[in-house]
Amino acid sequence: MKLQSYRLIRFLNNFFIYFVLTLFAFIMLFPFMYMLSTSFKIPADTFRYPPRMLPRDPVTIEVDGFEKPLPLYYVEINGEQKEFALAQSNIKIGIYAPADNLSATVERRLTEVKPTGGATNQQTVVVNDKEEKLFDVEVDGQIIPMILISQTTVGEFINPENPDEKVSQNVRLSTPVESISWHPENYKQIVELNNMARALTNTALVTILVVIGQLVTSVFGGYAFARLKFPGRDTLFVFYLGTIMIPFVMLIVPLYQLMVVIGWTDRLAALIIPWIFTAYGTFLMRQHFITFPKEIEEAALLDGASRFQILKNIIIPASVPALATQATFTFLYAWNSFIWPLVIINVGNEKNHVLTLALNVLRGRASDTPNLILAGAAIAIIPPLIVFILGQRFFVESVASSGVKG
Amino acid sequence: MHSHSSEQTKLTLHIHFVWRIVFAFLMIVGMYVLWTSPAERESWQKIIVTVVCSLAAILSIYGATQINKGNHSGRMIALLLDYLGFATALVMALNTGEIFIGIDALGQTFPQGIPYLGIVIVGYFLGSLDEYLPTKKATSENSLKTVGRWIMLLGGILFLWQIEAVNGAVYFFSKLIQPLGIASVIAIIIFGISLWSMSRPHIAQALGVKTGHEQIINGWLFLSPNLLGFLIFFAGPLVLSLYFSFTDSDAFNTPNWVGFDNYARILNVRFALLETPTQLAREVVDIKIYDEVDRFVIGNTGILFAAADKFFWLALRNTLTFVLFAVPLSVIPALILSNVLNSKLPGMKFFRAVYFMPSIAAVVGIALVWQWLYNATIGYINYFITLGIEFWNNLFNLAIVDPKIQWVSDERTALLAVVIIAAWQTMGFNTVLFLAGLQNIPGELYEAATVDGAGAWDKFWGITLPMLAPTTFYVVSTTTIQAMQVFEQVFILMNPPEGPNNSTITLVLYLYRSGFQNFQQGYASAIAWVLFIVIFGLTLIQFQRQRRSSIYES
Repeated sequence: MKLQSYRLIRFLNNFFIYFVLTLFAFIMLFPFMYMLSTSFKIPADTFRYPPRMLPRDPVTIEVDGFEKPLPLYYVEINGEQKEFALAQSNIKIGIYAPADNLSATVERRLTEVKPTGGATNQQTVVVNDKEEKLFDVEVDGQIIPMILISQTTVGEFINPENPDEKVSQNVRLSTPVESISWHPENYKQIVELNNMARALTNTALVTILVVIGQLVTSVFGGYAFARLKFPGRDTLFVFYLGTIMIPFVMLIVPLYQLMVVIGWTDRLAALIIPWIFTAYGTFLMRQHFITFPKEIEEAALLDGASRFQILKNIIIPASVPALATQATFTFLYAWNSFIWPLVIINVGNEKNHVLTLALNVLRGRASDTPNLILAGAAIAIIPPLIVFILGQRFFVESVASSGVKG
Repeated sequence: MHSHSSEQTKLTLHIHFVWRIVFAFLMIVGMYVLWTSPAERESWQKIIVTVVCSLAAILSIYGATQINKGNHSGRMIALLLDYLGFATALVMALNTGEIFIGIDALGQTFPQGIPYLGIVIVGYFLGSLDEYLPTKKATSENSLKTVGRWIMLLGGILFLWQIEAVNGAVYFFSKLIQPLGIASVIAIIIFGISLWSMSRPHIAQALGVKTGHEQIINGWLFLSPNLLGFLIFFAGPLVLSLYFSFTDSDAFNTPNWVGFDNYARILNVRFALLETPTQLAREVVDIKIYDEVDRFVIGNTGILFAAADKFFWLALRNTLTFVLFAVPLSVIPALILSNVLNSKLPGMKFFRAVYFMPSIAAVVGIALVWQWLYNATIGYINYFITLGIEFWNNLFNLAIVDPKIQWVSDERTALLAVVIIAAWQTMGFNTVLFLAGLQNIPGELYEAATVDGAGAWDKFWGITLPMLAPTTFYVVSTTTIQAMQVFEQVFILMNPPEGPNNSTITLVLYLYRSGFQNFQQGYASAIAWVLFIVIFGLTLIQFQRQRRSSIYES
């Protein structure tokens, strides 16, 4: 094979690879992009069809003689596109034609035209076996009686620089002049409207306490399983392992009743304390500690160090990546959990809501303002993404290795 | 350090002996009070407390005799009982001081403290900065570390001040001053002294401690916080769940034992032969008991499937359908993507991270986003379909009609909409798992195959897939377990959650409804166990298949 064609094949091959990867990256990222862009839009913009990515606002302009700024639209004058301001909308226009020549139409405002013979005694004419009313329409200085064929509504557009230059056209069919503009105040609004600030801090509090608590118990438990020999250890470890597969929903009813007995329903404690003790975290920590060289520990023991000192001064400092991974896992789990808060925290008790619950309430409350709903969703989604980006070096690797070992 | 006389040691051991007897006596008194007190308690709670107390009493007496004989097992038992007593008293004290309930109050003041938590983090980073700085003078590094530590301390104090920790502590102690709280504190002190005394070296030696005992004690001690929590919040509730599934528990009243009634209601189904495909259900089954779930039409006749609880079977059908589509849709593309990502080209880590992103976002938020993407009139999905159809129509001069799918309100597409979200969300996670599996396949296998003249396709079928079998098993089973529990997507996306014509009612959704909207918690527990059996069965089938295929490999 010639070198040239080999290179071409390799180039095409690589091009194909990047094409597929980029396509999937687009699919994966698109909902996030949609969420962010919509959360910065004004409500009218979110309901526009066809949908657009970037948030836009209609442009307005100050024109002499008008109190309020006027919206700008594109108008076509002599085949030329210009930006004119909408001075008056909802102007009713009639299309008139003489009874004997229906194709010679003229357009006049309804207010400019008077009924032929006065309002009380309007003259009529029969066209196509139908009686039609006659109106006095002025054409080139002459008044001609005509019939009304149809009506439309138009707006009057004026040149902002020269308010006397006017043009009329249908407002709904005109394209407004728009500029890209972001509305971060949506976030402020949603935080104020829906108790989102409290939900956010509650979620942070719950997540921090769960992460710290779980790290502590699983570090101690994992170390005991990995390094300390005591009767019943291996049986217990098999028992721990066996429970990893059990889905959480198995526990939801009895755990709820337990919370009723303790008096923790509707309490943040119910979202924290039961989640501090996990078999999975202990298992991960044990798997990590078991790879730690035994010799260092034995040397320290000979020097008279206690097990606690060994754990604190030697093993934990050397296990930062594993701890970070476990912390990230727990963070995501605690931050995103929904069914347990839904069961435990009352809908009415808004001061104990976490973000997922607040979103569930928001969904019903703001169903006509997608910009606000998606701003709320962004508040719930972005912090885990930041944690992921910070910890992804450890995290992705460890997900990978857990799968291979499992 | 002065040596302890044998007299002193003997006396201490004697006190321990008495204390064990007193402890056993207290346990028995506790049981007596429990059964005679007028306070209403559930019988299962009484039974649990009785079992625990009598075990403790028996153990304590046995421990007393062992201490008397000078056996080390007596020390072990004493340590165990005192430790458990200490832990219980501590939790009681914390609970009486309303520490746990007080987390709600912390939720109130926590927002004010967050900025100061930021100071702590800044201090930490400042302190750890010197590890990254090029080594200059030892003094400057130390000073940076010291500054960081001081900033952390300052931030911590300001944080505690802002969250009103002082008020909290005052409140805690004010609550503690009541009979139960004072009793708990006294118990903490007594158990604490006993523990401290038992762990002193001369006592340990007097009872004949051996080198291995240190590991046993430390092992249980280190494991104990985790194990106790695990027993209380996981293993215990699991057993309770099994018990509840045989009762008519409703979360408020005392549950009655109903035997297998819950399971019988779930499994009460009828199949009936239909004469015509459209024959009414009431002509073939007793509709006072049974509701039609589904009918399978075969030519001119059909089979009617009816069940006493049609929602359970609809939920089972929907869940299995969901699994049947969501699992392949998230596994097969992941397999392909991982093979593409496995090429040693630049930028692969970036794509890997991007694919991973959906799996870490909150399902609730994601479902809200997709709800608007699925919107029939303004949503992007229908917009893209419209664009695609226009493109094909123009390209080939066709006249395909734009379907304008009502994704979530059409019963034919509602479950599909959920499937798409789930596949989108788990695909990246599975890709990373597959990628790790791929990177563990030795490259020599491919080189040998290339020498033998195998093409890329042969290599994929002949090497990659068989070598990936363990990973595939792991991926498929975890994805299946996850998919069987589908709830959040449905709950958020659909309004009402069970979807149009019950087309998206799933097992977990039905469990939630039964347990927490209809408050038939016994029945909900039975559903949970059926769900578990189905999950277990599916995993077992996959495990068997994987084992068989790995036998073929070898």
